[in-house]
Amino acid sequence: MGLEGEATDAEVVRAVLAGDVERYAVLVRRYRERYARYASRMLGSRDVAEDAVQDALVRAFDRLADCREPDKFAGWLFLILRNRCYAEQRRRQREGRPLDEADEMFAAPDRPDGAYEQVERTHALERALQHLTAEQREVFVLKHTEGLAYEEIAGVTGATVASLKMRMHRAYDRLRELMKEHLE
Amino acid sequence: MRTIGIAITLVLGTTLAGGLGAQDVQALLDRRVSPEVQRAVRDIAADAAAHGLPVDPLVQKAIEGGAKGVPGDRVIAAVRALAGRLAEAKEAVSEAGVAAPSGDVVEGGADALNAGLSRSQVGELVRVSQPPQDPGLTLRVAATLAALGVPAAQALQLVQGMISAGRSPSDLLGLPGQVQAGVARGATPAQAAAGLARAAGGPPPGRAPDWVPPGQRKPHNPHKP
Amino acid sequence: MMGYHPLVKRLLDGELSLAELPPELRAEGEEALRLLGAVDRAPVALSPLLDERVMAAVRRHAASPAHRAWQWLNTPREVELRLRLRPWTVWAGALAAAAGLALLLGRPAPAPERGLATQVRIGSRDSVFVRFVLYAPGARRVAVAGTFNQWDRSAAPLVPAGTSGVWTTTLALPVGQHQYAFVVDGARWVVDPAAPAVDDGFGRRNSIVAVTAQGAHTL
Repeated sequence: MGLEGEATDAEVVRAVLAGDVERYAVLVRRYRERYARYASRMLGSRDVAEDAVQDALVRAFDRLADCREPDKFAGWLFLILRNRCYAEQRRRQREGRPLDEADEMFAAPDRPDGAYEQVERTHALERALQHLTAEQREVFVLKHTEGLAYEEIAGVTGATVASLKMRMHRAYDRLRELMKEHLE
Repeated sequence: MRTIGIAITLVLGTTLAGGLGAQDVQALLDRRVSPEVQRAVRDIAADAAAHGLPVDPLVQKAIEGGAKGVPGDRVIAAVRALAGRLAEAKEAVSEAGVAAPSGDVVEGGADALNAGLSRSQVGELVRVSQPPQDPGLTLRVAATLAALGVPAAQALQLVQGMISAGRSPSDLLGLPGQVQAGVARGATPAQAAAGLARAAGGPPPGRAPDWVPPGQRKPHNPHKP
Repeated sequence: MMGYHPLVKRLLDGELSLAELPPELRAEGEEALRLLGAVDRAPVALSPLLDERVMAAVRRHAASPAHRAWQWLNTPREVELRLRLRPWTVWAGALAAAAGLALLLGRPAPAPERGLATQVRIGSRDSVFVRFVLYAPGARRVAVAGTFNQWDRSAAPLVPAGTSGVWTTTLALPVGQHQYAFVVDGARWVVDPAAPAVDDGFGRRNSIVAVTAQGAHTL
């Protein structure tokens, strides 16, 4: 998977495991942004997502010897990040943190044609997503933000396609309810 | 005597783990176990086969005993005891509604009984192990949990919880290791199992994806007008 | 407000197009598409300082004694086992091998040998490489025997990893559960105290290792 002249993930992983710690920066650079969007949507905040991505990258280093297939480092890193996101969400639930205080996640792009409604709707959906269960939010994000097929999501999450669809369909209903003013 | 031995082995259809053929099995038996013990084991095995029980585990147990230098009479006693457990396991599994269980499931049931689970618990585990679950695997995992010191009822509960949370057989296979990790951190086996049962409701650990991870492709939007 | 009609949900899933909806569901379908239209797919940019923060943490972790000990476990070399063991008691247990060792250290050691089996990497599709480790400083020969090799005492010898008294070998095992025990000096059968054990029917016990395809679960 490496570009011409660039080391593959597997080569870098092996080098790091052999002791060349500084080479890990290659993997950090390569993958820092790849899952940022997923983490932001799952956690409802870009800042919290950034912490999660940072922690996941460090943890991936700590556990690098556990990476069974070094040429699939990216997928493995995703799993670590995913677990971190779930842990963060569980922690928030225990602490009773109100969801409405999710930070502003993105700057609304300037829409010269004044499509204020569209921007409002996008904000509303982001807030509504935080009111879903973590599993519902995840299947929605993986399918509609990240563009994965149900089979791919099943492969990542370990759930069956049937149970994913059930979750998603409940999510659709809940989102409709939460967004009713914005959808008319 | 040797020919009869091979013939019976072939009839019983043994291919042990590792894909050994009947002749290899016979060679192992010869090396490890005296002719008298072999005769006794074959009788027990023939009887077991007549009752529809798997024979491989009996032969395997005899080979194990021989390798460990166990006296002949104790090998025979162990093989007989195992045959008894297999019979009991087959009954328990049949009571749970599986009319003709595979040898693997019966073996798993025998492991579970050996580890201290009751017949009804064995039956319960078989009942909840509908596809994609594998009842033989489920039973063995429960047996291993019990061997780790998790009380039988709790092992059952943990496994059932994982299955109803939609976890894969592979996730189940990882349970003993997780209980052990919990024990290493200072919990009792029961506490570690309870912790896992609570987490079972949560998201599965997942598998490293084979596909291109998120973000590397243009989002698929089927709704472009 | 009611939930979406099942056909509209299939539209949302991308299994149907708007044109394929019956006319009476068209409006609901358009509303649903407005919902999807609100999904923000813009990439999220993280702070440029993130790289340096990660590498700073990585350098700190790499320099810690616990990490150096962990590196040793994965690359056998000559080392003083006694010195390296101590940091593992505080290791976070992310590495199951360390968890096994912490378990060992938690027990007083009446038995002179300590062992564990850790999974290291995927072999072929159906088998996984499993590393067996035994601390047996007084031993002359060590082997592992189990259901995967017909309990053959000579099939899977362990080799010393340096002069520390640690013996190790790596075997390709099929996915599933296996029973095993270590054989010291050809005659003494030693169960793995870091693994669950079951009655072997002969008055002794066998250890169990659960081998999974992901290689992520060890005993």
